[in-house]
Amino acid sequence: MIVENILTAVVELATVKTLLLMSVGAMAGLLAGSIPGFTIAMAIVLTLPFTFGMEAAQGIAVMIGVYVGGLSGGLMSGILIGIPGTPSSVATTFDGFPMARGGDPGYALGLGVWSSFFGGIIATVLLVLIAPQLAKVGLEFQPWDYFALIFFALTVTASLAGDNMIKGLISGALGLIIACVGEDDINGVERFAFGNDFLGEGFAFLPVLIGLFAFSQLMSDVRDTGKARQSLTDMGDVRVRIEHKRAIRTIVSDWINLVRSSLIGVFTGVLPAAGSAISNILAYDQAKKASPTPERFGTGHPGGIIAPEAANNATAGGALITMMALGIPGDIVTAVMIGALLIHDVVPSPAFISEQPTIAYAIFIAFFFANFLVLILQTGALRGFVLVTRVKMYVLASIILVYCGIGVFSLNNITNDMWTLAIFGVVGYVMRTLKFPLAPMILGVVLGPIAERWLSRSLALSTDVTEFVTHPWSLFFLIASLFSIGFSWYQKDRGRKVWTLWYAPLLMLALTVPLFMMGGTVRPVLAGILILWAGWMLVHLPKNTRALTSRETPS
Amino acid sequence: MTHASRDTIVSIILLLFCGFLIWAGYQIRDPQFGELPPAAWPRGVTWVLTVFCLIFFVQSLMADRARGSDAVADPAADRGPGLGGWFRYYYNPIVCLALYFAFLATLPYFGTLIGGALLVFALLSFLGGVTPRLIALHAVIAVVSVGVMWALFTFGLRVLLPRGELIPGI
Repeated sequence: MIVENILTAVVELATVKTLLLMSVGAMAGLLAGSIPGFTIAMAIVLTLPFTFGMEAAQGIAVMIGVYVGGLSGGLMSGILIGIPGTPSSVATTFDGFPMARGGDPGYALGLGVWSSFFGGIIATVLLVLIAPQLAKVGLEFQPWDYFALIFFALTVTASLAGDNMIKGLISGALGLIIACVGEDDINGVERFAFGNDFLGEGFAFLPVLIGLFAFSQLMSDVRDTGKARQSLTDMGDVRVRIEHKRAIRTIVSDWINLVRSSLIGVFTGVLPAAGSAISNILAYDQAKKASPTPERFGTGHPGGIIAPEAANNATAGGALITMMALGIPGDIVTAVMIGALLIHDVVPSPAFISEQPTIAYAIFIAFFFANFLVLILQTGALRGFVLVTRVKMYVLASIILVYCGIGVFSLNNITNDMWTLAIFGVVGYVMRTLKFPLAPMILGVVLGPIAERWLSRSLALSTDVTEFVTHPWSLFFLIASLFSIGFSWYQKDRGRKVWTLWYAPLLMLALTVPLFMMGGTVRPVLAGILILWAGWMLVHLPKNTRALTSRETPS
Repeated sequence: MTHASRDTIVSIILLLFCGFLIWAGYQIRDPQFGELPPAAWPRGVTWVLTVFCLIFFVQSLMADRARGSDAVADPAADRGPGLGGWFRYYYNPIVCLALYFAFLATLPYFGTLIGGALLVFALLSFLGGVTPRLIALHAVIAVVSVGVMWALFTFGLRVLLPRGELIPGI
């Protein structure tokens, strides 16, 4: 069955047209990734309008091309000028830039390009192996469980909030309100429309998304005239030949670092809201700690390039696992992809892989293809990318602003969407200025209607709200939600406050309740392991508390 | 006397907005069928938002109090004082948005191709400066970029982009 699905997906994608479109997507991603200040999410958002006319699988394949390209593109400016194109390549600059400055730019780029490739391939293998297994669990879900799952995804907004959690939560709730405007899906009753036709139509997801993300970003980019008139990067006319053989030899000899970093990347990607911006630094840190020569890190050590680049590409695979197996976004990019699937009338849910095997396996294969395409493009068109990134910001911003308008119009062929774009461009810019994170708002817009639909279905089956705690999966996600809300505080206080020592064991113990309720063999055994683990942590709690307290109050 | 910080002012505006949403939530018609009335979800979300905004308000007030008399109206801003300083600081985005709204308002007259090219030209000239050489360069960039985009969407993606009264064909 799996082989059959894979073959169907390969047939679907291995056409000249699709590969060409994916190449254009990968190239766009590479460009966006190599330009400091341009995010991968923005590149994907701008690609969306082109995908409306395509088949769902084809459209998603193009976006995956942009995603993988964007993750890989950040390394070019990071290595050549020391400014990472995206946050996912921050750690690459630590050793990539010194190596390039030390006279070995071709080797540094080779290490980056091939580590990205291998990281992506390892993640693809894990994606194909893990996602369908995880998705089988989703077939057990009932409406209560679905609602609790979406509720859990919404609580992730707290983790996406960054430094100011309350602003993130407000942003997420505002996203839910935006999604309420217009006719409701269930009864067709107008909400927050006030008799106005424009509001009565509701806000289409795409204009809101492009307005909030791309339009407002462009406004921020042109605020300072001086900066707007500068070139996007100051990379000179690069004439570097990537040293492939030497780089591959080094990576193969350092395969433990490669595999470890890829696994860190995949694991970080699976966790909601922990994206490649985190994974590349985590992998770099682990590589340094495991190295026999940690003092050489930061001076141009090959391991310092392999680790972050393998990790950031592998993160994409992890995020896709969460998206495909559970139907919830692991990061902002997968939130956009879920929105794109909705535009193609594909509703992501835990049953996604079993109900839409062609699209699901097309995503696996596209991710695999994309890594090859990016490798080829990076090798063949390095100089071209560098030349394009020398365009001035105001030129690019002016053109993209018009493109945004035309792009959103093509969604429904109505000019109202262009007005929505401009309005949410203003909203996004104001929010950026006031330091409100935009990612939670996007999640709110995407997940709000889905949550409401499942809540309605749950209540249609039974008005007894205790159903939410008597269904094991629902209880599981509600417990996870509770801890997810506190995760931001936990992250902030970890290693500094005593209460954080209770967080992990309590979470484990709480999760054992629904696991035991599920019955069978595997899950109670898993619950038993969690109890033992939590018990071990609790036994060591007094010792750890004393250590922490003595650190808090040094004599 | 302690000045209200930007966050405090924002939280007050948000609370007022929540009040408006609560009122609007009670204006939603109830069709009297289904277990989940159409107003239930928006009302629930509004109350959650209100609680968050209240927390934000209290946090901001406490932060203001902690800063005491050293607090300024907008500690983050590095712009000049007053409304003039604010306007100068945000001059570029304001003009760009105004140009964009002008493009949308005149779209039925100019259409996408001409309107888009005019918008790109106006944005380029406003942001990039005006010299005879730049005007020529901006004109070329505007015509080529919007022309390519228009052709791509019209012929490649078969999207019927808005046409104008000025030249009905495009």
